[in-house]
Amino acid sequence: MISEKYFKKINDWLWEIPEDFRSDMRVPARFYASEKVLGEVLKDRSVGQLVNVATLPGIVKYSLAMPDMHEGYGFPIGGVAAMNTKEGVISPGGVGYDINCGMRLLKSDYKEKEIGPYLDRLASEIQKEVPSGLGQGRRMKLDASSIDKILEGGAKSLVEQGYGEKEDLENCESGGYLPQADPTNVSGKAKERGRGQVGTLGSGNHFLEIQKVNEVFDEKVAKTFGLFKEQIVIMIHTGSRGLGHQIATDYIRIMLSAMLKYGIKLPDRELAACPIGSPEGKEYLSAMACGANYAWANRQMITHFVRKAWSGVMAGGSPPVSLSLAPLYDVAHNIAKIEKHEVDGREVELCVHRKGATRAFPPGHSEIPEKYRLAGQPVLIPGSMGTASYVLAGQKSGAEAFYSACHGAGRIMSRHAAARKVSGEDVAKELRSKGIIIKCRSVKGIAEEAPMAYKDIENIVGVIHSAGLAKKVVRLTPLAVIKGE
Amino acid sequence: MKKYEILEHKADFKIRVFGKSKEELFLNALLGMVAGLQPEFSNQRTVIRKIKVSSVDLNALLVDFLSEALYLIQANKEAYDRIVFARFNDNELTAELSGKKIERFGQDIKAVTHHDLAVGKNENGVWQAVILFDV
Repeated sequence: MISEKYFKKINDWLWEIPEDFRSDMRVPARFYASEKVLGEVLKDRSVGQLVNVATLPGIVKYSLAMPDMHEGYGFPIGGVAAMNTKEGVISPGGVGYDINCGMRLLKSDYKEKEIGPYLDRLASEIQKEVPSGLGQGRRMKLDASSIDKILEGGAKSLVEQGYGEKEDLENCESGGYLPQADPTNVSGKAKERGRGQVGTLGSGNHFLEIQKVNEVFDEKVAKTFGLFKEQIVIMIHTGSRGLGHQIATDYIRIMLSAMLKYGIKLPDRELAACPIGSPEGKEYLSAMACGANYAWANRQMITHFVRKAWSGVMAGGSPPVSLSLAPLYDVAHNIAKIEKHEVDGREVELCVHRKGATRAFPPGHSEIPEKYRLAGQPVLIPGSMGTASYVLAGQKSGAEAFYSACHGAGRIMSRHAAARKVSGEDVAKELRSKGIIIKCRSVKGIAEEAPMAYKDIENIVGVIHSAGLAKKVVRLTPLAVIKGE
Repeated sequence: MKKYEILEHKADFKIRVFGKSKEELFLNALLGMVAGLQPEFSNQRTVIRKIKVSSVDLNALLVDFLSEALYLIQANKEAYDRIVFARFNDNELTAELSGKKIERFGQDIKAVTHHDLAVGKNENGVWQAVILFDV
């Protein structure tokens, strides 16, 4: 644990551990936190992990962490590390085991009062349509060529097969697929784990929520995003499932032995890394792209099933409105991307690792869909179960964090401690008393994700907004929560 | 002697495993991991899988062994509780895992991590390891 006395306060929202704190640091370590959040940050070893990340070859400017940071393995969760593509390394641990775990938000034309009578049925139908995948999974298992198509084409390959609209791809980070994906760099084991899991939610903190727009902070940007007060939206949180987990496992193993020949010595094996330009680095980047594509396809397939449930329940509803669920955006929070950023007045190509951090490009960035370009990239931040979530917009001042924001509230209590402290029944009862419907197969799963196990999302998003990393656009509150397990 | 104990961890699943020998340590680590998956058994049909792993050292061997077992568990929907080792040293092992088919898991385990892993003997001469799983 690193004592607060080593922290240098940069401003009210930003703290630094200088480069001379430890001799193996190549850059300073910086993290975003208010005084309020600081106490939580100090309770675990995440700051020490952030210092370890600062030792990675080729790291540029700082090793960074968002205010929802907590202890991970190797990298802290909430970490951002940008490496120069010429001299730097790529680390599977800097992406995490759930490659392209991320968020998607779908918008309806309905307001809360119009949906009330259908809400419970809707939640049940969605739960029925989108399994967790921890049981027998979907009956349909993909064959080898179908899985390769998904690894190459991501959400695009599913839209081409009729599982969505062109608009879904236009409103998705990277158009729903990364072209550097090469399925030959993905093991047969990873493909086997992925065969039956396209369109499944997973367990843990993954969820689907029916939410309403509870508060609008920026009318102009909200209008650009197609959001309005009381609007019903659906949030999807999941990733690349077993396929991504296996790719990470495979490449950490490969890099652990390969890094010896590159003379890379690291303080933690979970940081295992190889030069970005090495065969192992290139192969991982391409395999990671396959994992990312699988995750976008997974969220696309879930979108398809949610739409099926939605139109089934809402058809013939009164008043009749459009049955479509339009995409707002889809964005990853566990990924490494090759991006151009300005460093010391020059534009350089970097490999930006975001592990539990969300890309937040500013207004005018060429990778933002044209219709949002003046407003900034939509940034989707889920709260803990039963609490608020946010839509933010990327800002120019986010350049100091390689245009990154947080990815959620961040845990403060272990799953076991939460399950010991409260019962699933009590949490469900409390949610119901707030008018929130909860659908989950496992009551223990509900207890483990109890809101008390997390930091307060309001504080975390408050830091992001005040630090200028992204600005608040709307606040979303849950009406129904559907959890895998 | 306890086989394993579940430790506190904020986000993930962490266990401390014990064994009178390295082989027993590996078996008990497997049992701890399977317990973490909370399997629901469907029938009593016994299944046997062969496993072969080689790694840079004993620490990595434990992670790679559990990762290989996790893959077999998840790909085949099976849970194993016995191991017969044909070959075992600090860098490689060959073994047969046996167990039963399962209906579903109550909890997902994404991966076995190297985080804070140290395989060694404790003051009582018992082999011990702390393992963190990403869930």
